[in-house]
Amino acid sequence: MIGLQHYLVLSAGLFALGMLGLLTRRNAVNVLMSIELILNSANVNLVAFSRYASGNLGGQVFAVFVIVVAAAEVAVALAIVLTLYRLRRTPNLDDASILKG
Amino acid sequence: MSELTRSLNAFRPELALLVGLLLVVLADTFAGRGRQLATRLITVLSLTAAFGFAIELQAAGTRAPLFSGMLVIDPLGAALKLILVAAGLVTVLAFSFRNSRELAGLGHGELHTLVLALVFSCLLLAAASDVVMLYLALEMVSITSYVMVGYLKGDRLSNEASLKYILFGAASTGSMLYGLSLLYGLAGTTSLRGIQEYLAGGIPDANRFAVYAVTLLVLAGFGFKIAAVPFHFWCPDVYQGAPTPVTALLSVLPKAAGLAIALRFFYGAFSVPQRGPWDLSGSIDWTSLLMLVSVLTMTLGNVAALTQTNMKRLLAYSSIAHAGFLLMGIVALSENGARGLLVYLAAYLVMNLGAFLVVTLVHLHEGSFDLRDYPGLYRRAPLLTLAMAFFLLSLVGIPPFVGFLAKLYVFSAVIEQGRGAYATIAALNAAVAAYYYFKVLKVMIIDPGNEAKPPLELAPVDQLRLAGLALANVVPLFFWDWIEGWARSALVLYAGR
Amino acid sequence: MSGEALVFWIFAGLTLGSAFVVVLSRTLIYSAFALLVTFFGVAGLYVLLGADFLAATQLLVYVGGILVLLLFGVMLTHRIYDLDLRSETTQLGSGLIVAAGLFVVLSAVALKTEWPNLARLPAPTTAPIGRLFLREYLLPFEAASVLLLVALMGAAMIVRRRRSA
Repeated sequence: MIGLQHYLVLSAGLFALGMLGLLTRRNAVNVLMSIELILNSANVNLVAFSRYASGNLGGQVFAVFVIVVAAAEVAVALAIVLTLYRLRRTPNLDDASILKG
Repeated sequence: MSELTRSLNAFRPELALLVGLLLVVLADTFAGRGRQLATRLITVLSLTAAFGFAIELQAAGTRAPLFSGMLVIDPLGAALKLILVAAGLVTVLAFSFRNSRELAGLGHGELHTLVLALVFSCLLLAAASDVVMLYLALEMVSITSYVMVGYLKGDRLSNEASLKYILFGAASTGSMLYGLSLLYGLAGTTSLRGIQEYLAGGIPDANRFAVYAVTLLVLAGFGFKIAAVPFHFWCPDVYQGAPTPVTALLSVLPKAAGLAIALRFFYGAFSVPQRGPWDLSGSIDWTSLLMLVSVLTMTLGNVAALTQTNMKRLLAYSSIAHAGFLLMGIVALSENGARGLLVYLAAYLVMNLGAFLVVTLVHLHEGSFDLRDYPGLYRRAPLLTLAMAFFLLSLVGIPPFVGFLAKLYVFSAVIEQGRGAYATIAALNAAVAAYYYFKVLKVMIIDPGNEAKPPLELAPVDQLRLAGLALANVVPLFFWDWIEGWARSALVLYAGR
Repeated sequence: MSGEALVFWIFAGLTLGSAFVVVLSRTLIYSAFALLVTFFGVAGLYVLLGADFLAATQLLVYVGGILVLLLFGVMLTHRIYDLDLRSETTQLGSGLIVAAGLFVVLSAVALKTEWPNLARLPAPTTAPIGRLFLREYLLPFEAASVLLLVALMGAAMIVRRRRSA
């Protein structure tokens, strides 16, 4: 029987993988992909809760807004990455080291 | 239908900003040569209107949920909105495309639209009473900030700062989102009021772990907005890379909105209905956690600022430190704490904006943000140096400046709650901060150098701006009673009831 | 194994497997297409959870919009003749430890907590969600339009080559 916990562990895995990508990847587009994994993991949570735990659609509505925000964020992020690439010929984060701690 | 009308009535500041936003977009498209003047005029007018509505809102003293519980209006919220709109208004008035070398030649319409959108989003964030609204508003503030920071698209520094900002920000808010999703699962509802009822109803031991996890994850999002440790890493780079007027705006608005929502979230969700908003359901000792964050933040900010020579980075670390002080208002967990937070935010507005204005003007005339180019300014620009002295002394927290008033409020609130050690650490921090503020002043006044350079000729309007902000740092002390009254009347926290 | 369980494990496997590829692959284009599979997997899970509107939105926006944008991003940030679209990984060891730690903690939260038990049986969701957008969640629904305006304007402005006076 598939229950709530199956989905929650799945999303925990997605979240962890997203974090892994965030911490280890050098390419900005790759980091963006990892962030999308994180957002999707939260969405899976929301929809699973909506189905099994809360009995209402609030989670699904929340998930729709998350998708909207993700789209806006990716658009702006890619615009910035593209500009970075034009200026520096590389999308790698480590090379963007002019600004130091 | 009537709930909607009632909500719209209390939504007037935001509506003024929305109308302004749309008009600016239209003006930018159709106004032709009068574009620059038109957009600026519309922005100032709409911010002023919003300010007026916010005053009206606070005077009315309504306490109600709006828009089916998405937002909440109460005197504390209205006071915070007032500060947020004031921050936007003062920034737009103090900075212009003419007194900032970095902004020269860039699009007017877009920047003004972004400013209005930022203030609008901050107002939504400060009043959010539902997890969906909270997340959306937080991301609206964030994304608008990301775009504003990337405004100098041709500049490598600015572009890299913008990239780091957006990646770090998306990661933090993504984590916060995961926490919010768990909270939804626990409470079964997206409304903060419902969450409050759930938490106050007693949490079974099996669920405590989940609530801890939620708190930490949510703090990631708030911490990022406030630039508190350990989510502050983006701050110096972003402040340095963004055009200075944008930095000035970002140093106040998102921070204030972040603090407002942190206040509302933790008091709104974690307070017990029967006992009033200042008693917590005792599920988690998050005040100690916040206290730790506050101490780390102010210490790190102050220590890092000691060795900075770039003025923008110095002020960035100074802002981080002040976030630590501002958190004291929340940690104090009392009416006096909230009052302290309000006064500190208002004071912080005028101190910080003033300092950034001086830095912008020096850059305009000298082309440098480096402290090593600041010697001799006393002779070359006496008014500028005097104004900077006012701002820096206010930042240190010395009477008769508003900075002193602000620190007095938060310190007394914290001491009152018995957290003497905490107050002592904060006091030590203030002393450490004094070192670098005085250092800047010393460099400007006493250090030799630049003797051969001609005096700085400030435009009359810039002199007026400096004078205005400098006075704003001193005059309020004479109206202490009035401020006290205002802060006191703002202390009713609706907390979803 | 019941049909539902089978479908779940298939989609879960797809999702997690492709997520691994996204995060660990050395070739950027493989990561991008793996992300496509991940999004499809999640959409499948949504269908299983009875969220039909959300599944459609996921496909339309995530796959049809965001992924296409990411692919453009991948393509435009490399010279056309340079087919070696590599992406490097740093500090894999410590990253793995952190990620594993997070997974353990969050799974513990998931398994240990007593979640409420109000199930919602799968039913068409489009109409109810629409109603929610226009009633309870009206304000976020409208405010999102400001967000989209800012993002649209911002992205266009940042990428535009010529300065505007």
